[in-house]
Amino acid sequence: MASIIDIKTECALHVRDFEFTYKGATAPSLKKVTMPIAKHSITALIGPSGCGKTTLLRSFNRMHDLYPGNTYAGEISFEGRNILDPKEDLIHLRTKIGMIFQKPTAFPMSIFDNVAYGLRLQGIKNKTELEGRVEKALEDAAIWKEVKDRLKHDANGLSGGQQQRLCIARAIAVEPEVLLFDEPTSALDPISTQGIERLVIELKEKVSIIIVTHNMQQAARVSDYTGFMYLGELIELGETENLFVTPKEKLTQEYITGKFG
Amino acid sequence: MTAVQKRIIMNRIALGFSTLSAIIALAFLFWILAVLVMKGVNALNWNIFIFEGAPPGYAESGLKHALVGQLILVGLATGIGVPLGILAGTYLSEYGKNSKLAHTIRDISDIMMSSPSIVIGAFVYAIIVMPMGHFSAWAGAIALAIIMIPIILRTTDDMLQLVPQTLREAAFALGAPKYKVILSVVYRGAKAGILTGVLLGIARVAGETAPLLFTSFNDNFFTTDLNEAMPSLTVTMFNYAISPYEDWQQLGWAAAFILSLFILGLNIVGRLILFAGKRK
Amino acid sequence: MIDKLFFNFTRFSAFLILVIVAWIFVVLFNHSLEAMHAFGLDFITQDQWAPNLNKFGAYAAILGSVLSTTLAMILAVPVAIGVAIFLSEIAHDKIKSFFGISVELLAAIPSVIYGMWGLFYFVPIIRDVFGGMGIGLLAAGIVLAIMILPFMAAVTRDAMNTTPDILKESAYALGGTQWDVIKDVIIPYAKAGIIGSLILALGRAIGETMAVTFVMGNVHKVPTSILSPMTSIPVTLANEFTEADSSLYFSSLFGLALTLLVMSFIVIAIAKFYFLRKTRRA
Repeated sequence: MASIIDIKTECALHVRDFEFTYKGATAPSLKKVTMPIAKHSITALIGPSGCGKTTLLRSFNRMHDLYPGNTYAGEISFEGRNILDPKEDLIHLRTKIGMIFQKPTAFPMSIFDNVAYGLRLQGIKNKTELEGRVEKALEDAAIWKEVKDRLKHDANGLSGGQQQRLCIARAIAVEPEVLLFDEPTSALDPISTQGIERLVIELKEKVSIIIVTHNMQQAARVSDYTGFMYLGELIELGETENLFVTPKEKLTQEYITGKFG
Repeated sequence: MTAVQKRIIMNRIALGFSTLSAIIALAFLFWILAVLVMKGVNALNWNIFIFEGAPPGYAESGLKHALVGQLILVGLATGIGVPLGILAGTYLSEYGKNSKLAHTIRDISDIMMSSPSIVIGAFVYAIIVMPMGHFSAWAGAIALAIIMIPIILRTTDDMLQLVPQTLREAAFALGAPKYKVILSVVYRGAKAGILTGVLLGIARVAGETAPLLFTSFNDNFFTTDLNEAMPSLTVTMFNYAISPYEDWQQLGWAAAFILSLFILGLNIVGRLILFAGKRK
Repeated sequence: MIDKLFFNFTRFSAFLILVIVAWIFVVLFNHSLEAMHAFGLDFITQDQWAPNLNKFGAYAAILGSVLSTTLAMILAVPVAIGVAIFLSEIAHDKIKSFFGISVELLAAIPSVIYGMWGLFYFVPIIRDVFGGMGIGLLAAGIVLAIMILPFMAAVTRDAMNTTPDILKESAYALGGTQWDVIKDVIIPYAKAGIIGSLILALGRAIGETMAVTFVMGNVHKVPTSILSPMTSIPVTLANEFTEADSSLYFSSLFGLALTLLVMSFIVIAIAKFYFLRKTRRA
């Protein structure tokens, strides 16, 4: 029923018949989702609240495992293996698939230590290497110029938009393959939002990006592919332009024209 | 060994330690509970409720004097402490609000709540027992009431603040004077919470021994004279436990068990009321 | 008219708290004047407490309070932090509520019962293992530690639980283990609250009377070992207040009470106003 386009280029992730059930729930929150995620492009997930888009996003780095009792079924393949396998090394997986949250989440430490955090977790202790990689990450996150003179300052002194870019720097410092964005601009003002959107577009050179957004315009502005979800199902996945201009499914059309939401 | 492997091992060790500490803590606590229940149940019999204190060795020896004394002391303390605590809490929530004075009173009262209760006993000794020349139930009850006031004040203040402002405004809009709004609308809205606070406050002072040692003192016989020394379960328990006589020690455990049940009951009822109030 | 009356009633009751607290300080101060005049600073620096000679030096009791609470803190703090971590980060919901009920149960037990348990069940063990009389500093420290543990663990857990989930998830999302998240995110984030909670528990331990009265020994001597019987301020008050037979003796006991009140006031105030200010009231 659903209308899922074939992705001709290489895929970063491939979701097949994926089901997810929260602890204690009788019905799955995600039902038989099948979805390819193109490499080095941006895939947006849209849909009314409660449709499962964030639940799906948090499955890619197995975030649901932090709360026991949730169950997965089906397959999400990444680098040739099914990451839903109970034997999957989650520490390794999460360094390969990074995440940015709804609100900036600067740790209670200095700007430098925030960005160096993931690197140190991987055992990098060499000061020159750390400094080099922190600077590179901050530059890639377009925040180096603003913070280079106060790297030792507490990260919580930065503005919301700066903190969110710091979090992006922290995530890309460990050089992941995929970055997950969970409504990254929902707590930011319009100008900071613009900055983050520009940054997301630049980042796709290096990483594959999945972004959940409640804002259809944002999906239209930044993404190459858009998936529309409704009641736990992926209704349609298409090239962004096509999906917004000539949706194949009636539900998609009703949603993007504002008939419900 | 890679850095990640090291971290995983470190994680196991740290989580193992914290689980171990939880097990140690629980083990000690259950040991105490088990002792209390076993010793207490063993020592329980009807004589306890029928007879008053007797010299060691007598079979007709009980805790009637201490049970009644305890109820009188806690009842008196409740009669003094609860109205004062509720009124003071009302002042903070309805009149003082965010004024500097109100905050000072809250802070001082908070500190009082954690202050040593034996010091309150010394204070009451100085202002009541010394001038009167003898120990008395009044002195004990006042010491307990002083400990109770900050607890009741705090919960009343918190609970009244939870009553929505719109409710007050609606009553004012009908032309009700402030005291009527408070008495008939605000108190009614916070009824369950205040009642819970009162019960928890009673439970807290019922277990106090230190402030009674030199205010109501103790008596091995039944009395209802408020101007005389009055026995209580806690002080009796203390005296019997440090005595060298086994039958007195037994009675001490029985007193401990009865008092713990009473306090636990108050706690449970208090929480049930709050729970039922929340569900509505 | 009634409105005004009601207002005055409530205001009177609220002021009464301030009056009582001030009154306590004034009364204790006045009654300790005689001892202050008689001994001056010697009162807190001399350890000879000899009612028969009318000589009262509180050093041993003050030291006893400091040592027993310090020992209790050394024993209780690591365990309490461990329990708090277990409760906030490891335990499943069922275990959490089981532990919650246990803590309620224990809060319901009057402290005098902890003392009875200590005297009858724990002191013999210390006597068998370490020799000596069993009662003394070690027994007091352990009983006090057990006594404050539930409160300490509960408030420490509450402090840790103020860490936003999203902040913890961010650290997991970078490949952190639970322990990484605890030590790098939760503890730094909740630091002030945790320290405040621990100090608040310390404030309570200082004034705790009944749990230690049984097991301390009530001996006014500077301890020579961790097994030495000794005394503390509340223990001295509990044992000697009704036995005092001279006005100087009484005055010295009031001096002790004042010292105890000042000590605990300072500790609690530091906890509340320095560390817990932010989290106290929204």
